[in-house]
Amino acid sequence: MFGGVRSKLKAWIVGGIGTIAALAVGGALGAFDAIQKPAVVLEPGQPVETGPWVVRPLRAYTVDKGVYGLPLKAGEKALVFEAEMTNRTAISSKNYFTTFQSTGGTDEKPFVVLVRDSTMSPALQPGLPERMAYVWGLPAGAAPPDRFVLAVNGEIYKQRDNLYGAPGWYNEHVIGTVAMAVGTGPDTPDAKP
Amino acid sequence: MMRRVANIAVLLVAAFLCYGMQTTTPHYADLTAPIPVYGKIQDTILTRTFDIAVDKVVFARTLKFDQFGKQNLLTSGGVWAIVTARLDAADRSAMVAAATWQGPDRLNYRTSERASSAAGALPIALDPGVPGRTRLVFEILPSQVSGATLLVSGKLAGPLDSEARIALGSVATQPNGLPEGVTETYELGDTF
Repeated sequence: MFGGVRSKLKAWIVGGIGTIAALAVGGALGAFDAIQKPAVVLEPGQPVETGPWVVRPLRAYTVDKGVYGLPLKAGEKALVFEAEMTNRTAISSKNYFTTFQSTGGTDEKPFVVLVRDSTMSPALQPGLPERMAYVWGLPAGAAPPDRFVLAVNGEIYKQRDNLYGAPGWYNEHVIGTVAMAVGTGPDTPDAKP
Repeated sequence: MMRRVANIAVLLVAAFLCYGMQTTTPHYADLTAPIPVYGKIQDTILTRTFDIAVDKVVFARTLKFDQFGKQNLLTSGGVWAIVTARLDAADRSAMVAAATWQGPDRLNYRTSERASSAAGALPIALDPGVPGRTRLVFEILPSQVSGATLLVSGKLAGPLDSEARIALGSVATQPNGLPEGVTETYELGDTF
């Protein structure tokens, strides 16, 4: 009779240890996930690899007249940010609309223009660096900021995605932020690395 | 004892078989890939919906063409490749929508959107018996000029449809990396 109780107790203890171990491992993994990674601050003029792109933030400035073929009404202002972008992938791509995101103070979505000949958002060719301009409208009456803080987003390559099994770039995440000094007008010089 | 060894052996064989099947499963993207029809420059290549024959390939540093009544000069950090080809519908009206310059390093250059408003750019509608022509403009790295393949398909994304793959052959290069016979300015006129 007591033998039966002893073996039952043993089974309970072993089971309990297993459960506690599983909970501890799960909790630790969750905690690692939840750790706030410190924001990486990127330098203007330095190349950054985002996955599909190598980008080099060059300069930011405000305009009150149209720029790169984009019209602007009287009294409106826009914030222009220029970067050199190189397609690292093996195919022509225009997967750059969310590579740079404004962290506030501007309209949400930018227009993206090829500086070379003012083409609106063309696909960029593999291995050919191009200078691109991101143009954000500024809300009416808003004063342009002294420093324009941008989030630089990257993606990871997956051989097959979970939905279609197709290869591609997924899981967009913030790589870091870059603070650009905001000049006035298109004569603003490029940031030196 | 023998029985236990036999059991373990069966288990190992089963695990090995499962692993083999897992690693050799074809990729979904390969299973639904376009069906290639191979050919070389000057050949007439018969795909399911259209026939294509590449006439010539020209390289240029800059392109000149009229857009919205204004003369445009398109410069490039690489080199422009201009491919002219004859097209014909196979047996019913068809479209040719996508072309890719695949370099020797497997870099894929889609037709340039900067020159997409010039005459002869894709997409092109074809009718049987009416000869059609296209002029494909690519902006490529000079290192991807020689030994390239031209991929032409009827749809932008054409799974399980035929795709012409035309070997463009080797091109001699100058010491500065540009292809032999590169022209300074190529005019994308209305006739070609």
